[in-house]
Amino acid sequence: MIIVDHLTKRYGDTLAVNDLSFEVRPGVVTGFLGPNGSGKSTTMRVIMGLDAPSSGHVTINAQRYQELKAPLREVGALLDAKAVHPGRTARNHLLALAVSNRIPTSRVDEVLEFTGIASVADKKVGGYSLGMSQRLGIAGALLGDPPVLLFDEPVNGLDPEGIRWIRTFFRSLAVEGRTVFVSSHLMSEMAQSADEIVVIGRGRLITQGTVDELTASDAGSVLVRSADNAALRSVLEAAGNTVDTANDGTMTVRGASAEAIGQAALAAGVALTELTPQRASLEEVFMDLTADDVEYVSSLDATNHG
Amino acid sequence: MDSVTVASVTHAEWIKFRTVRSTIVGYVVTVVLTLGLGALITSAIRGHWQTMEPLRKLTFDPVSTSLGGTLFAQFAVGVIGIMFITSEYSSGSIRTTLAATPRRVQVVVAKLIVLVSVTAVVAEVVVFAAFLMGQRIYEGVVPTASLASGAVLRSVILGGVYLTLLATLGFGLGLLLRQQSAAISVFTSLLLIVPIIVFVLPQSWQTSVTRYEPSSLGHAMMSVTPSLDMFGAWTATLVLASYVVCVVVLSTVTLVRRDA
Ligand SMILES: Nc1ncnc2c1ncn2[C@@H]1O[C@H](COP(=O)(O)OP(=O)(O)OP(=O)(O)O)[C@@H](O)[C@H]1O
Ligand SMILES: [Mg+2]
Repeated sequence: MIIVDHLTKRYGDTLAVNDLSFEVRPGVVTGFLGPNGSGKSTTMRVIMGLDAPSSGHVTINAQRYQELKAPLREVGALLDAKAVHPGRTARNHLLALAVSNRIPTSRVDEVLEFTGIASVADKKVGGYSLGMSQRLGIAGALLGDPPVLLFDEPVNGLDPEGIRWIRTFFRSLAVEGRTVFVSSHLMSEMAQSADEIVVIGRGRLITQGTVDELTASDAGSVLVRSADNAALRSVLEAAGNTVDTANDGTMTVRGASAEAIGQAALAAGVALTELTPQRASLEEVFMDLTADDVEYVSSLDATNHG
Repeated sequence: MDSVTVASVTHAEWIKFRTVRSTIVGYVVTVVLTLGLGALITSAIRGHWQTMEPLRKLTFDPVSTSLGGTLFAQFAVGVIGIMFITSEYSSGSIRTTLAATPRRVQVVVAKLIVLVSVTAVVAEVVVFAAFLMGQRIYEGVVPTASLASGAVLRSVILGGVYLTLLATLGFGLGLLLRQQSAAISVFTSLLLIVPIIVFVLPQSWQTSVTRYEPSSLGHAMMSVTPSLDMFGAWTATLVLASYVVCVVVLSTVTLVRRDA
């Protein structure tokens, strides 16, 4: 369990995180989503005790990071895959980490094997591809078999096979009852790998909820086809709903549930040929939610949107 | 649960220290410079001994001259100390290190234990070797010194202490500045540029300021009979050690206070 409580972090004039509060529960994969520069990495650094909050606090299983006796056994993190001395081998890097937290050195071979980099473990990390570095970072996070795991943009640089592997892997960590907190600026990625999502923009919390809740929240609309659109439309509009009729004869109804529309059609004696509740894609929800909070808009986008 | 201790962090730092090439190269350069330049200097003195002025012969010190290579090796050990910490900042691995060891003072203590003990061993071995080699080269032509004399033994030992202190100074500067090039610039400035600045000061200041320069302190530490305008060998050691302690304490406070 990670609790972020009214966290604010300033760097000089930059307000990187602004009064941010949320919780990350064990047993599920929680996605941490926000546009570039929204404060995801900063929040993670504060959670890891690397940067001090300007105000507010963060606890991991009710403890401050600095109080953890053997932090690698309690929290594993991949913050920056390339943050390893390029001249050192993966094995020696992991060995030093293990020894510092008195983790049995046999774990080094286990995590190397598990992340699939055992064959290059004795090569210098400087020569690794981004994907291999990500795997090494994940190996480091797993070293202490910790109940809480943080991954900052872990999918960067992974091939499709690696992405599939990492998704199932996050899921399995959550199933084991661990707290899994994964950041990304790609909603599509989160939609497939997370159960719960924390969305931030410009350092502020925009929303927190399950993937289902977030996609349903914008739903409200139902796609309808019927034998007599005009009749059904007048009935629905009379009930206070808005109805858009498209050229292909489909109507998009807002304000009524599929069930209510079915009832209305029955009462009006109109046969329905299609009745489909619309789910917003997580991508759309994200774009909507963060539209006002995107810090770096490309000039092309900026002109298009006026 | 076994908690993180200075001992476990020291073990980890020892692994990190010995598994990068810059450390090995740094010590090889230290050895080569101390012995190689020691051989060069002592051979040159032997060659010119007959034609040397009587006054210089009178104040000739067979010990400090045989340790002359340390004046070059001091840069090598300084860079070892600097790289030990700045490489963590340049690669970003400092964050991994500090996440694994949230009590940051433990990281500094562990790194110092590793750096000081390895450098002390290498430096003492190499200064004794340089001393013995130098006396061998002087033998028969130039007066030689013997380790049987307490003052000679002290000078040689303090030669190794000087190199160890400078490695530690480099580490402190690296930790403070977090950047290799900046730390190397400041380190070399302290050793080379400060004496030049002092040189343009009024004569009366020069004599009182010069003795505080790191390089003068080193010379005093390695001289059997330091000249009168210098500190005595032990005082010089204390003065240099206090510089190093100040820089290390200041940089540790910064490490604890600043964001990683
Ligand atoms: N050490 C720092 N010093 C100054 N400003 C910083 C520092 N770290 C982050 N910032 C600023 O804080 C803001 C948040 O940055 P952060 O890296 O946390 O965003 P992010 O959500 O991780 O972005 P991305 O998706 O690009 O990784 C940015 O405006 C950034 O420029
Ligand atoms: Mg980031």
